[in-house]
Amino acid sequence: MDTICDLYLSDKHTQHTWQAFLEQRGITNFNAQEVSTIDQTIGLYNADNQLVGTGSIANNIIKFVAVCDRDAETKGARFNQVISELTNRLGAQGIFHQFVFTKPAYIDSFKYVGFQLLGATEQGAILEKGMPNIKDYLAQIPKFPAAKKVAGIVMNANPFTNGHRFLVAEAAKQNDVVYVFVVNADVSLFSTAERLQLVIEGTRDLPNVVVVNGQDYLVSFVSFPAYFIKDNDAIIRYQTELDASIFKQQIAPALGITARYLGSEPLSHTTALYNASLERILAPDIAVKILPRLTNGPQVISASYVRQLIKTGNLSDLDGLIPPTTVTFIHNNLLTLQSRISKGQNINGN
Amino acid sequence: MEIKETAMAGTLESSDIQIMLSAGTNGYEFELESDVAKQFGDQIKATITNVLEAYDIQNAKISVVDKGALDLVIKARALTAVQRALGIVDTPNWEVM
Amino acid sequence: MSDSKERLRRTMMFVPGNNPAMIKDAGIFGADSIMFDLEDAVSMAEKDAARYLIYEAITTIDYGDAELVVRINGLDTPYYQNDIKAMVKAGIDVIRLPKAETAEMIHELETLVAAAEVEFGREVGSTNLMAAIESAKGVVNANEIAAASPRMIGIALSAEDYTTDMKTHRYPDGQELLYARNVILHAARAAGIAAFDTVFTNMDDEAGFYRETELIHQLGFDGKSLVNPRQVAMVNKVYQPTEKEIRNAQQVIMAIEQARIKGSGVISLNGQMVDRPVVLRAERVMRLAKANNLVDAEGEYIGK
Repeated sequence: MDTICDLYLSDKHTQHTWQAFLEQRGITNFNAQEVSTIDQTIGLYNADNQLVGTGSIANNIIKFVAVCDRDAETKGARFNQVISELTNRLGAQGIFHQFVFTKPAYIDSFKYVGFQLLGATEQGAILEKGMPNIKDYLAQIPKFPAAKKVAGIVMNANPFTNGHRFLVAEAAKQNDVVYVFVVNADVSLFSTAERLQLVIEGTRDLPNVVVVNGQDYLVSFVSFPAYFIKDNDAIIRYQTELDASIFKQQIAPALGITARYLGSEPLSHTTALYNASLERILAPDIAVKILPRLTNGPQVISASYVRQLIKTGNLSDLDGLIPPTTVTFIHNNLLTLQSRISKGQNINGN
Repeated sequence: MEIKETAMAGTLESSDIQIMLSAGTNGYEFELESDVAKQFGDQIKATITNVLEAYDIQNAKISVVDKGALDLVIKARALTAVQRALGIVDTPNWEVM
Repeated sequence: MSDSKERLRRTMMFVPGNNPAMIKDAGIFGADSIMFDLEDAVSMAEKDAARYLIYEAITTIDYGDAELVVRINGLDTPYYQNDIKAMVKAGIDVIRLPKAETAEMIHELETLVAAAEVEFGREVGSTNLMAAIESAKGVVNANEIAAASPRMIGIALSAEDYTTDMKTHRYPDGQELLYARNVILHAARAAGIAAFDTVFTNMDDEAGFYRETELIHQLGFDGKSLVNPRQVAMVNKVYQPTEKEIRNAQQVIMAIEQARIKGSGVISLNGQMVDRPVVLRAERVMRLAKANNLVDAEGEYIGK
C-alpha cells in the first residue's frame, strides 16, 4: 500500500527529489513566485519507498500535482489518493472552497474527483470544488433580465480615479446596465473593502451601475499559478486568457453581459497583453470596447501616479485626477495609507 | 439543527465517498458525482438524507463524490460530516448511530 | 463470539481503520482475528471518521468466524473514551489497548468498558480485552498485566516501539526480542491467556518471515500479528500439525470418549493417566487440523 508523507522542501535533498520527479512529468517551472507560496507539500511513497506521487497546497489552491501510475493498483488510484489528502488537509484548515490550476489534459481527472471547470484555454485550466461556488456567487448578484444591453467592467481601482469614473460613465451612457467588478485581492495599497467602497461612492449618481465584489472569480490574473508553463510570455498569455475565459464562460452568460469595457493601455506592457487576450477570447460573443484613457492636461490619469502623490503627500496635485469621494477618503486616511507604504506596501504595478 | 460550519468527511479513494456539508436555506440540495449515479444515486442520497434527518437538520448543501462506497461507508461518512458540521466531534450523539 | 479463551489465534490481521476498501475485504483472507486499527494507521484528523467507519463495519458486515478486535487509541489520548464507547456499543469481541505498562491501565480500561456496556445495554463482561506490550516497563510488568482482569484474552508484543525504547531496532535474527518474547509468553501462559508475536513488515523477505514464524511457533506463541493478507496462509502453514501429532491427538480424544462412556473420572491411554495439559494440547491440535482441512467433519485424518 502507498503511504502519504509530508515533504519539507526546505530540506535540499527532499526538494531535489521532488523537483526531479515533477520535471520527469513535464512540470518545469520552479520560479520563486510559484514555489515560495506553497504552504504544504505531500509525497506518496510505494512499498519500496519510492516517490510515486506529490501535490502541494498554497492558500486555497492545489498545485504541483503529479503521479506515476507504474505498478499502481489501479490507474488513477494514486491521483485520487493525493487529491483526497490535499482536499482533506485544506478542509482541516477550514478551507472548503478549493481551486486547482492544471494542464488541460487533466481536466477530466479533476472533474472525476468532484471539481467543476471554471475556465480553460489551450494552455491551462482552472477548476473549483466546494462551497460557496460559482453558482452561489452568481446567485447573489442582482440580475436584470429585461435589460437589452448589459456591459461589464473589471477594475482594481487602487484607488478609484476620474479615469475609472470616465470609463464607467461612458459605459453607463451606452448600456442599460453596467456591472463593475472590483478585483478581490488584498495585496494593494487600498484594501478590497476600501476600493469597493470608493467605487460605490464614486458611481452612486449613476443609477444603472451595479458594483460587485469580484470575490474568488475576478482576481488579479497574475495570481494564477503557472507552474506547468515554462516560458514567460506564454505564462502571461495563459494567465490573461484564463481570466478572460472565466469571464466569458461563467460570469457573462449568467448576467447577460454582451460587452466588456476597457481603458486603452499606453503605459503598461502587461495590461496591453491582457487587453489583447480579452479581445482574442471574448470576441465575437462579447464585444470588447476599448475607450481612450482620460487625460488631465498632457498626462494620462493613472492610479499608480495617485499612489505616488499619497506617498509624497502632495495632495494638492490630486486635483482633477480623482473624484471628490476619493479625495475625502484620502484626506481622512492619509496617515494610515502612508504608514502602509512605509511598512513596505508596494505601490508600483496595478 | 442548523449547520454552523462547512465540514467534509471521507476520501476520494476506491470504495469510499467524500461528503461535504454546508449551511443551506432550501431543504437538502445535493450535488453528486459518481460513476454509478444512474443506478445508485437515489440510494446514496437516501442514506445521507436519513442521517441528516436523524440529527434533525432541515437545510443543507451536500456535495458528494462517490467512488463506489457501500451503504455502511456512506452512513459512516455522513455521520462524521454531520458531527463535524455541528461541532460535536468530541461529544457525539450516540443515539443516532 | 464463542469460547473466547480457547480458540485459534494464529493470525491477527491489521486493517487500517479509515480505509473502506480494506475494511470491506478484511474477512476474505481467512485470518483467525481481524484487528481494526484506530491508532497508528489513522491520522489525528481522521480519528472520528475511522471510529464511525469501524462501528458501521462491525455492525453491518459478516466477518464469519473471525474474532473481531479493535486497537483503540491509548489512554493518554483524547480519543480513548469515545473509542471505547463506540466499540462497546458496536459489540466488538476484543478491545486491544496499546502501550500497556501496568495492571492499573487495564483496570481503568475495564471500568470504562463496563460502564459502556451498561450504557449501551450490552451484557456486562461480554467485551474482552487484550494488551500490547511496547516498552521495557510493559515487559517488566507483563505478569500483572496479563493477570489484571478476567476479561483478558491475550497479550501481544509490539516490537517497533519496544525496540526504540530499548535503544535498538529490529534485526533479521530477532536477538533483540528474545527476552521480551519469553517474558510475554510466560506471563500469558501463567495467566492462561494467548500470546501474540509482533508484526513482520518486510514483504519482500519471505524466508525471513518463515524463519521468524517458525521461531515463535517453536517458543509456543499462539500466533502473530500481520500487516499483509498474504501472510495468513504462510503462518497457517507453519502452525499446521503433522500427521503424527494428529494421530496422537485422535488417540487422546478417543480415550476421553471411552472414559465418558464408562463414566470414569480418569482418562487413561496406553496404561498412562492422561492429564489436563495433554487433553488441551490434543484439542488444540484437532482445531488446527480442522482449520487446515487435514481432517474431515468426523475428525478423520485425510491428509493433503
